[in-house]
Amino acid sequence: MLVVLLIGGAIVYHEIQAKISGVEVVRHQRLNDLIADQIRQGGDYRDHPTRKRATITVIPADSVPRGVSSYFTRGIDWNPEFQRDEFKLMVTSFYVIDGRHYRITTYSFIPSFYELLPGVVDSFKWILLVLLVVVIISSGLISKYILAPFKRTMRVIQSFDLKRREPIRLSSTRTSEFMELNQFLKKMTEKAQEDYQSLKEFTENASHELQTPTAIIRGKLDLLMESEIRDEQAILIAEMQNALERLSRIHSSLTLLTKLENNEYVAKEPVNISNVVRETLNAFDELIEMKSLELDVHIEKGIYVPLHAALADLLVTNLVSNSIRHNAPAGRASGAGVDAGGFIRVNLSREGLVVVNTGREPQVPAAELFERFKKGNAAGDSIGIGLAIVRQICELSGFDIIYEYRDGLHGLAVSFLPRVPASKLLQNLLVPLHS
Amino acid sequence: MKVLIIEDNQELARNIREFLGREGYICESSETLEEAREKLALFQYDCILLDIGLPDGSGISLLNFIRNEHKDSNVLIISAKNALDDKIIGLEKGADDYITKPFHLAELHARIRAVYRRKNLGGASIVEFNEISLNTDTFEARINDSLLDTTPKEFDLLLYFIVNKNRVLSRQAIAAHLWGDYTDNLANFDFVYQHVKNLRRKISNAGGMDYISTVYGLGYKFNSRTQ
Repeated sequence: MLVVLLIGGAIVYHEIQAKISGVEVVRHQRLNDLIADQIRQGGDYRDHPTRKRATITVIPADSVPRGVSSYFTRGIDWNPEFQRDEFKLMVTSFYVIDGRHYRITTYSFIPSFYELLPGVVDSFKWILLVLLVVVIISSGLISKYILAPFKRTMRVIQSFDLKRREPIRLSSTRTSEFMELNQFLKKMTEKAQEDYQSLKEFTENASHELQTPTAIIRGKLDLLMESEIRDEQAILIAEMQNALERLSRIHSSLTLLTKLENNEYVAKEPVNISNVVRETLNAFDELIEMKSLELDVHIEKGIYVPLHAALADLLVTNLVSNSIRHNAPAGRASGAGVDAGGFIRVNLSREGLVVVNTGREPQVPAAELFERFKKGNAAGDSIGIGLAIVRQICELSGFDIIYEYRDGLHGLAVSFLPRVPASKLLQNLLVPLHS
Repeated sequence: MKVLIIEDNQELARNIREFLGREGYICESSETLEEAREKLALFQYDCILLDIGLPDGSGISLLNFIRNEHKDSNVLIISAKNALDDKIIGLEKGADDYITKPFHLAELHARIRAVYRRKNLGGASIVEFNEISLNTDTFEARINDSLLDTTPKEFDLLLYFIVNKNRVLSRQAIAAHLWGDYTDNLANFDFVYQHVKNLRRKISNAGGMDYISTVYGLGYKFNSRTQ
C-alpha cells in the first residue's frame, strides 16, 4: 500500500508540475503573441501590464532558431519581489514584424517542487485515510457475503464429533474453492470416522480376544491348584498366577485408557464427589488401619463436579490407593526427633481435591510419574498406570493436576475450577501432620 | 443346582463345568444363542451364565426371552468387554449380576451362590457351616450363637471361604474378591495375610474350630474336615 502510494505520489507530483508548466507556457505564449500584436500595431505600451516581465529584443535574422517559434526554460532563479530564489519559468518566442526579427521573452515564478510536496503529501494522507476506511468497511462486507459458506463450513466442522456416527452435512456453495474444500472435509471426516470406528472395534475385539484366553488360563490354574501337587509345583503355579494377574491388570488398564482417550465417558450429570471420597475412604478403612496410617480428612459436603460417576470413582480410588501403597513413615523429618508415623491427608473443597501422604522420595522426575509404566519406586507390584489414568481423567474433564514432593511428603492436587491452579491448592497442605 | 453355561469358548465352559461340577452342580453348556434357546425351551435352570459375545449375536438379546420364560432362573452375565454400557443394559434387562473376564472360578461360584441366596431362599439369608452362621443381610457372624466381632471385609472373607470350602483360594482370588478388579494396585498380599490372620484369631477366640489352613505357596483353604 505504502509503495503504491509513494509511486502514486511521485506520479501525481510530476503530473501536477508538468501541467502547471504546460499551462504557464501556453499563457506566456499567448502573452508573447499579445506583445507581438501590440508591436505590430505600434504605439507606446511601455507601461502596459503586459510588459512587466517581458524582454523584447530585436535580433539579427541568422540567430533565429530554425523550425522553432517558441521554447521555454525552467530553473531556480532570484525573485526580487520576495528576495529569494524561486522556481522560474521563462518562455521565449520569435516573431517577424515588418521584416524585423523580434525575440520576446516573458517569465513567471511558479510553485516549486518543495512547495508542491506538502500539498501532495497532505492530499495523499486524506486519500489513504479514506481508502483505508473504505477498504475496511468493504472487506468486512465482502467477507461477510463471500465467506458466508466458508463460515457455515467452519461451524459444521467445529461441532463435528467423531463419536457420533452421522456424517457431516455441509451446505452447498457455488464458489468452486469452497466446493473443493467441502468435498475435502467430507472425505476427511468420513475417513476419520471410519478409522475411529475400526480402532474402537479393534480395542473391543482385542479386549475380548485377550481376556478370554486369560480367563481360560486362570481357570485352569484354579483347577490345577486343587489337584495333588508338590511344593515346588505350588510355587510355579503361584508365580504363574502373579504374572497372569499382572497381565490382566495391564490389559484392562490399557483398555480403559484407550476408552478414556476415545472420550467414551461423557458426564451426563454432575456427581457428588463428597460422597465418592467418603465412600472410597470407608472402603480403604481397614487397609489404612493395617498400615497404621493416621488420617487427616476434611471433606466439604455436597460438592458436585461434572464427571462421569465411574470416572469419579476411578479418580478418587486411584489417588487414595496410591497414597496407601506408597506410604512410608516420614522418619525423623518432623518435630522433636520422634518417629512420626505415616499419614494420609485428604482435603476436598469446592476448588479441588488434595491428597497428601508420607512416602519415600520418588526416583523419577515428578513430571514423568504421570507417564505410563513409570514407577516412583521399584517397590510393590504396581504396574505404573494408575497416575496415567488419573491424568487422563483430569485432562478429559479440564481439571488441573499437579504432583509435588517435599520433605518426605507426596502431594497430589486436582483443581476442579479452571481459574484455580492446582499448585495453589497444594500450598498450605503439603506440611507434616502435627506442625 | 442346575446351571446352563452359554459360552462360545469351549475351554472356558469346560473350566466352569469342572469347577462347578465338583460342587455337585449339574452343568450343561451351549455355544450359540440358537442352542441356548433350544435348551431353555426344554429345561428349567436355576442359574444361567450368559456370555455377551456369542457367534450368532449378543447375549443381551437372550435376556428378554429368559426373563419371560424363566422367571425363577438367575442370570449372571459373563463379559470380556467390561464396557459400562453392557453392564448397565444387562442389569436393566434383568440380569442378576455381572462378572468380567478373566475371573477366578471361586469368584464366579461365590457370585452364583450370592444371587441364588438373594432370590431363591426367600429372605432366609443365613449361611451356616457347623458352628459358624453368617447372616448376609445384617453382616453378622456367629459362632455357636455368640456374635463374632468382624469387620465388613472379614465377614466377606469368611463367607467367601465357606462358599468355596475345601478349595484352594489363591491370594490373587481373595484380593480380587475383597477389593474388586479395578483397585489396580492394591493386590497387596500382605493385606490378605493380615485379614486371614485376624479372622482365624477371632474365630478361635470365640471358640470356633480353626478351619482355615495355609496352602504352601498358593494361598488358603477352608477345610470342612479338620484333621
